[in-house]
Amino acid sequence: MKHAITYVAGLVPAFLLAAGLAGAADMTAGERQLYDAAKKEGSVTWYVSQTTTEFADGMCGLFKAKYAGVGCNVVRASGQVIFQRLVQELQAKAVQGDLMSTNDDGQMLQLKEQGALAQFAPENLKDMVPELRALADKDNYWITSGVSPLVIAYNTKLVTEAEAPKNWTDLADPKWKGQVAIGHPSFSGSVGLWTVLMNDLYGWDFFKNIEKNKPQIGRSVADGHNLVASGERKVALAPLPLILSDSMLKKVPIGVVYPTDGALLPPSATAILKDAPHPNAARLFENFLLGPEIAEYFAKDYRYPLRAGVPLAEGMRPLSSYKTKSIATADGIKKLPEVQEKFRDTFGI
Amino acid sequence: MTSVSHPAASTWSEDQPVKVRVPWHQRLQPANLLWLFLAGILVVLIVAPMWTLVVSSFTDAKTGGWTLHNYVEAYGKERHITALTNTLKMGAVVVVLKLAFGVPLAWACTRTDMPGRNFVRYSVFGAFIMPPYLAGVGWILLAGPNTGWINRVWHSLSGSTEPLVNVFSFGGLVLVTAIGGFFLVFVLVSSAFEMINSEMEDAANILGAGPFKTAMKVTFPLVMPAIIGAALLSFLGAIALYGVPALISIPARYPVVVIQLTEFFSFPLRIQVAAAYSIPLLLITAAMLGLQKLILRRKGYVSVSGKGGERRIVKLGRWRWVLFGYCFCVVALSVLMPLFVLLLAAFSNSWTTGFSFSNLTLSNFHYVLFEHSSSQKALVGSIGLGIVAATVAITLALFIAYIVQRKLIPFSGLLAFLAVSPYVVPGIVLAIGFYAAYALPPIALYGTYTIMALAFITRFLPIAFTTSSAGVRSIHPEMEEAVRILGGGRVTALRHVVGPLLKRTLAGGWLLIFVPAAQELSTAIFLVGPTTRVVSVVLLDLSEEGELEKLAALGSLLLIIIVAVVAIGMRYLGRDFMLRRS
Repeated sequence: MKHAITYVAGLVPAFLLAAGLAGAADMTAGERQLYDAAKKEGSVTWYVSQTTTEFADGMCGLFKAKYAGVGCNVVRASGQVIFQRLVQELQAKAVQGDLMSTNDDGQMLQLKEQGALAQFAPENLKDMVPELRALADKDNYWITSGVSPLVIAYNTKLVTEAEAPKNWTDLADPKWKGQVAIGHPSFSGSVGLWTVLMNDLYGWDFFKNIEKNKPQIGRSVADGHNLVASGERKVALAPLPLILSDSMLKKVPIGVVYPTDGALLPPSATAILKDAPHPNAARLFENFLLGPEIAEYFAKDYRYPLRAGVPLAEGMRPLSSYKTKSIATADGIKKLPEVQEKFRDTFGI
Repeated sequence: MTSVSHPAASTWSEDQPVKVRVPWHQRLQPANLLWLFLAGILVVLIVAPMWTLVVSSFTDAKTGGWTLHNYVEAYGKERHITALTNTLKMGAVVVVLKLAFGVPLAWACTRTDMPGRNFVRYSVFGAFIMPPYLAGVGWILLAGPNTGWINRVWHSLSGSTEPLVNVFSFGGLVLVTAIGGFFLVFVLVSSAFEMINSEMEDAANILGAGPFKTAMKVTFPLVMPAIIGAALLSFLGAIALYGVPALISIPARYPVVVIQLTEFFSFPLRIQVAAAYSIPLLLITAAMLGLQKLILRRKGYVSVSGKGGERRIVKLGRWRWVLFGYCFCVVALSVLMPLFVLLLAAFSNSWTTGFSFSNLTLSNFHYVLFEHSSSQKALVGSIGLGIVAATVAITLALFIAYIVQRKLIPFSGLLAFLAVSPYVVPGIVLAIGFYAAYALPPIALYGTYTIMALAFITRFLPIAFTTSSAGVRSIHPEMEEAVRILGGGRVTALRHVVGPLLKRTLAGGWLLIFVPAAQELSTAIFLVGPTTRVVSVVLLDLSEEGELEKLAALGSLLLIIIVAVVAIGMRYLGRDFMLRRS
């Protein structure tokens, strides 16, 4: 992470200039054109719920280092909160974000139907892992910008591997009373999809049973991860890359369980707003998200790289090696409001 | 103006009626123009947003026609009603706690020989400077059910695995809300205690009452109006607070109105339903104000006057240490403990590891200062908004207070009423009103600093007006009359006489606004845009990601800046600027 931060700080303009020139040398004609137009626009504003603030800031830093003269503003909040903000802006006809990245592609479909998105097929799509590319919109209104499977995290100091839960229903085991953390489907996009998946698999009783364990309910899915990392809770619903990178890079006592009944695989989606104030910078950025720099940055942080041929970080299991489940985009939209309402009724908040 | 004064210069006629000309002239006098101008500003700041709020609560979102459906949607669910009753319950308990904290401390510091009075005063002042959501984070670190410091100590002492205290509970919610606002009770009740003279207490003593009996039978009844007023404001503050419920009531699963309001503000966006749902908050506060008037009207309180005679402090004997013990507990709960853990977390790699030299780090500060995408800008934004809101509110309030106090024009009482009316509007409701009135086209102020500055000015106008009004009242008109006799206008009098005389009062009022405005969360939450974020909102986002160490670091930076500004102010004003107000 630190290397990214050095870029962000950008204390040595000469270095930045050099990086910009170096980048300029191997730019394609289309990229060059977008870059020139983006420089005139000055910056790009990126609404993101897909990653943590820290990680998104790092991505912005790489972008600024490659495309000197184009600024990058991260606005990070949980999925439903960012989405609500965007809807607010669309209603106010004062769109301020240029592009948005979320773990709930249902939001994208809704925005597409509203006519709020721009169609764009970035050049770098051609180098993408074909399976990941296929998860995106067929009409190129959004791209797949990542996959972070939702799995179970446990604190390795407090829980042995043998004791740890094996599947989702184990979270309702009475031995985890007061020790479970989950997110809220009305705040977090990926928790929304997870709630839909659990309801599809086990019916609403799943949540009634979990409720007996008095789980701590956070707003974002990263919150649960941090609760386990600090030992405040023993087990939680958490995104895989966060667990791996914290345990590998920061030596946090946290471990992964790949649930036998299937990790949730929500494809993260990124789309450009039709009324983006910086349309060219947004297109440049979207293309950059699929470029080699981000692929490497992802791989180093224990995420699945989007480009074909980039090796996984050591200790990372290929997606095909464990069971995953996805929710069809249209299905998610249809079922989400009902489970959100039920969740509020069951958990009283 | 000259053209109005001499309209007939070219076509002179004897029949020109003089009477018509004079009223025109009078109506356009600077004072009247100023009145119109100020009234216009107050309409923009207060009347329009509140009116829009009420109107939109009756507006159909799709057709734009008249409807009651928003109210049906807002109250048609049991859960929504529960949030409302929960809020009232919480508000009531918080008031009791705030009074239990604030009143004894105020009495101890103003009327007794308790040791450490200055220590207590400074600490209460610390509670004023620390925003409630930071106190909330401090208490999460202290009383998180499994890793909170208190619980870890308890676990190691008792061997138990059950938590001793849990901040994520109703008790935690009311405690954190109460410690975040009891300083107001302290300030209001202290100044009332300082107005009472000792003659009546002496009488009670002579008739054989001991110090505590005297206090209960004589002193406290005399400060009742101040206590009732403080209780009312405490209630309003408690039910309108956003930060503490966002941190605590979601995990505690205790839904309250402000959390429910954010649900209406999530997708699909239902501003109209949010408006309908916030109307009861307004009605409740209006009813409370009415109740206060009713209670106070029935009794005479003339014995509390600024002209009180001698004030003697009560000698407590050995009870003085008991009282100090109580005060210390309150201060420890509200300031010392949360501040200590917050600072410790800010300098720690991981707050759960506890204190050790290997755990110490400056990286959290480095992160929020240089690496985090929006915290640097947010610090500038918060401080800037605090300065703008305080300056504009004080200036505006000075003009209004002057006009009202000098009765320069008819209906000046209306201006006074408007200027204090935002008192009864919870911050989050005010934000919804501002959003409905100004965020959307045609005005389209969404995502600008302007809309936030306007909302902050409105929110703190009552404090500004109360301060300025008290100041103007203390200046005898004869000095201004001297200016007028020597040919100066009202504006000259204001600039060269009233302004300079009120410098200290106004500067004190400025600080009283700056501190909460730089920390304001409730009003900001719906009004911030992507490039206009403030520290409070960034802190809330950090709490959402569970980044408590970084949050603590950013919170500490905000505190340091605020303390620096206040320290400069105190050098200029003397340390008691907020504790001695009429």
